Amino acid sequence: MTSKTKGFLGIAALLVVLLASLASAGCGNKKEGSGGGEAAQTQKYSGTVKCSGSTTVLPLAQEAADRFMEANPDANIEVQGGGSSVGITQVKDGVVDIGMSSRDIKQEENADGALMPQKIALDIISVVVHPSNKVENLTAEQVKDIFTGKITNWKDVGGEDAEIIVVVRDKASGTREMFDEKALGHKKDNPVEPVSSAIECNSNGVLRETVASKPKAIGYVSKGYVNNSIKEVKYNGVAPTVQTAKDKTYPLARYLYLITKGQPSGAAKGFIDFVLSDAFQNDVVAKEYIPIKQAQ
Amino acid sequence: MRERKAKKGDPLARAVMLVCSSVCILGIALIFIFIIKESLPAFRELGPSNLFGAQWSPDVSEPAAGKYGMLAFINGTLLTTLGGLLLGAPLGISTAIFLDQVAPRRAARVIHRGVEMLAGIPSVVIGWFGLTMLVPFLARISGTGGDGLLAASIVLGIMTLPTITFLSLEALRSLPPEYKEASLAMGATRWQTIRRILVPAARRGILVAVILGMGRAIGETMAVQMVIGNARQAAWGPFQRTSTLPSRIITDMGESSGLFRSALFAQGLVLLVLAMLLILAIRLVNRERGRGR
Repeated sequence: MTSKTKGFLGIAALLVVLLASLASAGCGNKKEGSGGGEAAQTQKYSGTVKCSGSTTVLPLAQEAADRFMEANPDANIEVQGGGSSVGITQVKDGVVDIGMSSRDIKQEENADGALMPQKIALDIISVVVHPSNKVENLTAEQVKDIFTGKITNWKDVGGEDAEIIVVVRDKASGTREMFDEKALGHKKDNPVEPVSSAIECNSNGVLRETVASKPKAIGYVSKGYVNNSIKEVKYNGVAPTVQTAKDKTYPLARYLYLITKGQPSGAAKGFIDFVLSDAFQNDVVAKEYIPIKQAQ
Repeated sequence: MRERKAKKGDPLARAVMLVCSSVCILGIALIFIFIIKESLPAFRELGPSNLFGAQWSPDVSEPAAGKYGMLAFINGTLLTTLGGLLLGAPLGISTAIFLDQVAPRRAARVIHRGVEMLAGIPSVVIGWFGLTMLVPFLARISGTGGDGLLAASIVLGIMTLPTITFLSLEALRSLPPEYKEASLAMGATRWQTIRRILVPAARRGILVAVILGMGRAIGETMAVQMVIGNARQAAWGPFQRTSTLPSRIITDMGESSGLFRSALFAQGLVLLVLAMLLILAIRLVNRERGRGR
């Protein structure tokens, strides 16, 4: 009997521990990866900084905000999505302190020149195939037709007679957003989607492994992810490099911006400096994008 | 009987048991409340006609304009589950019959251990096996990408095998030995006894085994996600890529927010309801079984 009671007590204790760890897991997320930021700065910032805008920049900004607040407990960084246009409009109207954008500011949006864009990363997308694929170059038209399902066989673009397997990113990814817009011609009023049989991958890494394991696959990844398990193809005859992205001959690239109205000051300046710090650029930005130092 | 009396007399054990069972009930209730609460915005703002439509095309910058139809994924879930059972059930049931009636004791022990080990393999490992061995193999023999309904069904078949085997075995072993003895005494062969007497007598228990295997298959996430292709189309052919409800949730949950996220919770709710229906089915079968005896 007593041993049985002990058993029950043990189970009860286990359950309590389990629940407690579940509960703390929810709150514990912010703590991870705090090491990167602390060395980068000595001055402590305080106050609230509101950010809104591009959903592409959002994960970067959120990660930066978590680390920044870890290092500066008095500072409060609020990050919201909404899209690049919303970010630019809101920072201009003074609704937020920092606007996040994944496109250049248009002339008419900055007529009085008050908005100060700060480039934080360069996003280059490479169209990639399996290393055994003989195709070296695809025209913009061919890429569009392949990803929308009009061309379904490699022989139509100079390859072997085999079905093309299209691999894309998940809908919430910024890489997918840019590719749909710039390569497929997706627009708000004229939506274009990749072919419905396309394999969806929820990270650059998974996409790379998928293309690497399928000789007939084609996909796209952020340039930082290309290694020798996959092969980049030229887009309209232009190879994806930092140089071609900078001089705009390679179109599947864009800068990511943090935008302030006038020179940033206080915690907003501290936050932007933090995003530009080597630690954050190398730890976080480099996982998906080209750090801005290498792209300037 | 004696045990129950003893427990009644021990207030500490009773309290502990009460706490344990309340924690369980509380956990289930919390999960339900949370999922319903999170999926409510999707039902309210998108409406069932959007959520149960055929088109999946979420809109990230303007969530309310997106299409969040999950029909293709419900279809994928049901078809892969069915496919997994078509492979897992015959194998599992015949393994159970073999273990209980045919196999020599030593062989039975080895097989029993083997199936036990199969039950212990983490689903991600089975998925990894599927991705690196099964999918390339299917790609070679079919001339397609290899992933799709068939690959997912095979993986699920492997995963449901231990559940179905052990529960069917349990059903066969719980039969009164007189059934077999009487049948053999009447001059029936072993095969006739198995086919005409034992399996029919244990059929409700075997049915419960199959339904529980189904429960394992319907919610499987990682292994399926790795081999099904995660396409948004509805698939009917064995080599067509598609998604199941769990694989869609895990593919899209990373960066989704707002209504998009809520629509994924709605998929979770549908999955939960499907699983509940399975449990209900088990209870019905069990009640029938009670009446049948």
